[in-house]
Amino acid sequence: MNDKPSFSAIRRRLLLGLGAGGLMSTPLRAAETRSVRQPVVVLTSYNDEVFSRFEAAFEKAHPQYKLQLVWRMPHDALPYLRQPRQAGVDVYWSASPRNFAALAREGAWQPLGIARDGLPERIGKARLADAEGFYTATEMAGYGFIFNPEAVARLKLAAPADWQDLTAPAYAGQLVLPNPARVGFAPVMVDIVLQAYGWEKGWATWSAIAGNAGSLTDRGSTFVTDEVASGRRAVGLSIDFFAVSAIANGAPLRFAYPAHGGINPAHIALARNAPNPDGARAFASFVLSAEGQRIVTHRDIHKLPVRPEVYRELPADYFNPFRAAEQGAFDYDGDADRNRLGLISALFEQTLIREHGELAALWQRIHRAAAAGHDIRAARQLLESPPISLAEASQPALQQVFRNRLEGANPDANDQELRWQEASRSRRAAVASLLTGQGA
Amino acid sequence: MSMAGRTLALILLLGLQAVMPLRAAEETMLREAYTQPLPGLSEAERERFFRGRSLFRQSWVVAPAEDRAAGLGPLYNRLACISCHQKNGRGRSPDGPEERMQSMLVRLSVPGQDAHGGPKPHPAYGGQLNEEGIPGIPGEGRAALHWVELPAERLTGGETVALRRPRIEFVELAYGPLTGALHSLRIGQPVYGLGLLEAVPEKTLRAMAAEAKPDGVRGRLNQVTDVAAQRMMTGRFGFKANAPNLRQQIAGAFVGDLGITSVLFPDENCMPAQKGCQQAPSAGHPELAVADLDAIEFYLANLAAPVRRNTDDPQVQHGERMFARIGCTACHRPELQTGPSPRFSLTAQQRIAPYSDLLLHDMGRGLADGRPDYRASGRQWRTPPLWGIGLVPLINEHSQYLHDGRARNLQEAILWHGGEASAARRRYTASSEPERRALLAFLHSL
Repeated sequence: MNDKPSFSAIRRRLLLGLGAGGLMSTPLRAAETRSVRQPVVVLTSYNDEVFSRFEAAFEKAHPQYKLQLVWRMPHDALPYLRQPRQAGVDVYWSASPRNFAALAREGAWQPLGIARDGLPERIGKARLADAEGFYTATEMAGYGFIFNPEAVARLKLAAPADWQDLTAPAYAGQLVLPNPARVGFAPVMVDIVLQAYGWEKGWATWSAIAGNAGSLTDRGSTFVTDEVASGRRAVGLSIDFFAVSAIANGAPLRFAYPAHGGINPAHIALARNAPNPDGARAFASFVLSAEGQRIVTHRDIHKLPVRPEVYRELPADYFNPFRAAEQGAFDYDGDADRNRLGLISALFEQTLIREHGELAALWQRIHRAAAAGHDIRAARQLLESPPISLAEASQPALQQVFRNRLEGANPDANDQELRWQEASRSRRAAVASLLTGQGA
Repeated sequence: MSMAGRTLALILLLGLQAVMPLRAAEETMLREAYTQPLPGLSEAERERFFRGRSLFRQSWVVAPAEDRAAGLGPLYNRLACISCHQKNGRGRSPDGPEERMQSMLVRLSVPGQDAHGGPKPHPAYGGQLNEEGIPGIPGEGRAALHWVELPAERLTGGETVALRRPRIEFVELAYGPLTGALHSLRIGQPVYGLGLLEAVPEKTLRAMAAEAKPDGVRGRLNQVTDVAAQRMMTGRFGFKANAPNLRQQIAGAFVGDLGITSVLFPDENCMPAQKGCQQAPSAGHPELAVADLDAIEFYLANLAAPVRRNTDDPQVQHGERMFARIGCTACHRPELQTGPSPRFSLTAQQRIAPYSDLLLHDMGRGLADGRPDYRASGRQWRTPPLWGIGLVPLINEHSQYLHDGRARNLQEAILWHGGEASAARRRYTASSEPERRALLAFLHSL
């Protein structure tokens, strides 16, 4: 937070110096007439493409304020906001539901206190507004599949419509999969499947999808889109805005929202110690206004507005999640499983990402053996089984161990994870042995 | 913009659209035209290219932080490279004094030279105005931009054009008055094709500088400090050709615009009087890892320039001939040949069409900034490459040109030409309106 009263006199001082540059073009002028703009400090992880558009529009609408951006990835934002006086932050604005919830529990926010006319409390089963009124969603991103229609057609497959479609043997080596332990949006993606199909069938689905992955990435949606756009892979598991904005900018791709969908909302909250609460509130109101919500639909941003009326102005092919939610597409309840996201991401990494080559090879053997008429049920069941039981995964103590493992954190594996690695290795060896025993 | 100016801009726009209709699909494809790699990257090179792209788009973080991309500031202009080079293209200037400079900055100096012959930094503010400071460190101030409308000029056929010029007002100055300062405005420059420009042999530049040219056109090489080599080298990047190579240009922008140190510029951009700046935490020495500098350099060196469009259009072809006939190509060279390029092989031995000679030219009093930069005088500017310029409205969503965005369309940019370009300008204004339209259509095809 910049608190610079000692400089106000300087700011008002006339500038008398006329440099050669000034003399040759136009003179430097005095600064005495302009009022000093009040800073509004926004802590965010939005990239420049998003933030600069809001910055320009907000400062135009509210010239008395100057946005001051402090950029932090979500895992880095948490300690930043836990500093004394919240380090002078006025607003936190980010796509990190866990951070907002965690900080709400710590009493970090003040009530938003802004009008909610035209802003729904929920979409499907997902809350958009915090029940206590401390934070609210400002835009949404949808999970789904970026795919190359030509490549999918070459595989003689229909466009993917749900997660289980991606387990088809024809997709072997054709999927791009983000590592949920490294890529911020991916933990919820893993959980959507676990919640939609249940723990057992959910892990079975992920095992088969991971077995079909030809590219794994720690780098997120840009890379996923690049891999598919280049024709190297047919389908990428992604979040919509990178992909859809690439499509809007000409990439020969399509994005499909699965029948079992989910959204990743970005939220906004006002810091309890905000030095400029009026400015903070003005900014939050602006972001939620129709004008602010239109900005998120710019073709280089392509997020989903939380204000339904804005969709009326958008092209017919702009995905309307409120309409999809009426068909049950957003039954995923993000609040329900929030505490296990770190745990399932670590499980996913240790059992499906590490030694991925072995996993993929086993799945291809299973597919070949099945096609050849071998009885592969036992091998398949073993490869599909969850790394730990739902009961174990529901233990708060275990969830707590992995609580801070999200949003870009990059720690070494702990003993627990090393045991999962080992168990996974043994299981793969057993699967290989079973297949060999079947002559597959 | 005046009503007449707006009407003219509309007529221009509609006229161009009438002759160059862009299909919607083609239009959307073209929006990524500044972000494409040179053809032929290997798998490993592609990976490096993407790594560099991520860093170029990265928003940097105030130290201390767990984030690897830490080291922003203490004083800075924006958070990311891409902030000033949106979609790898051209920045724009504010519409008025209340609007902040989002993709533009102000260079500062005082009369005289530094120890190497470069601009002498302002004792309180250094070499450029850093409008932002990390929390606890006041930003240096704000440059409020006023636009002054100039009297309209009548061109052959009756068309009138009114230009505008900028006037800077420094406000909210945090480190004392800017007494005696020279200043020069800079919008973010396009960053594609730079590897190809770097691969143009120095002897080619020298030969072009030595050539006899018509109309009083000269062309001069800048000689600037090569920080890594610790000697003077020919300058080829920057509005005044004040950077000898791409790597130094990148490292200079990192320290100057983002406040991030590197092996080439290991010191923070804090002036002696800026005590808070000097005492702020650092994210490392240097803050930008060598591998990251390598990756960004690789990315920019391998960014292709857009392919020309509408080359079969008779009006475009007419405009291209006219561009040569009235003398534009004396500086905006339509063809250059690259030489060997041991570090970036895809840029070697290429015939390229940057429409630049990379030389300094006196552009007259109207464009002069009065701020010398090594051998570049206050009236001299490096010929800016024109490749890709026709895509600015589509990709960057504005139509501002020249170093400070004062030109609101390409015709205004032409009309700001003076000095060595005076004869070409005269021929342009004396041309018939259809001829001028043809020339503009040609520029829009680039």
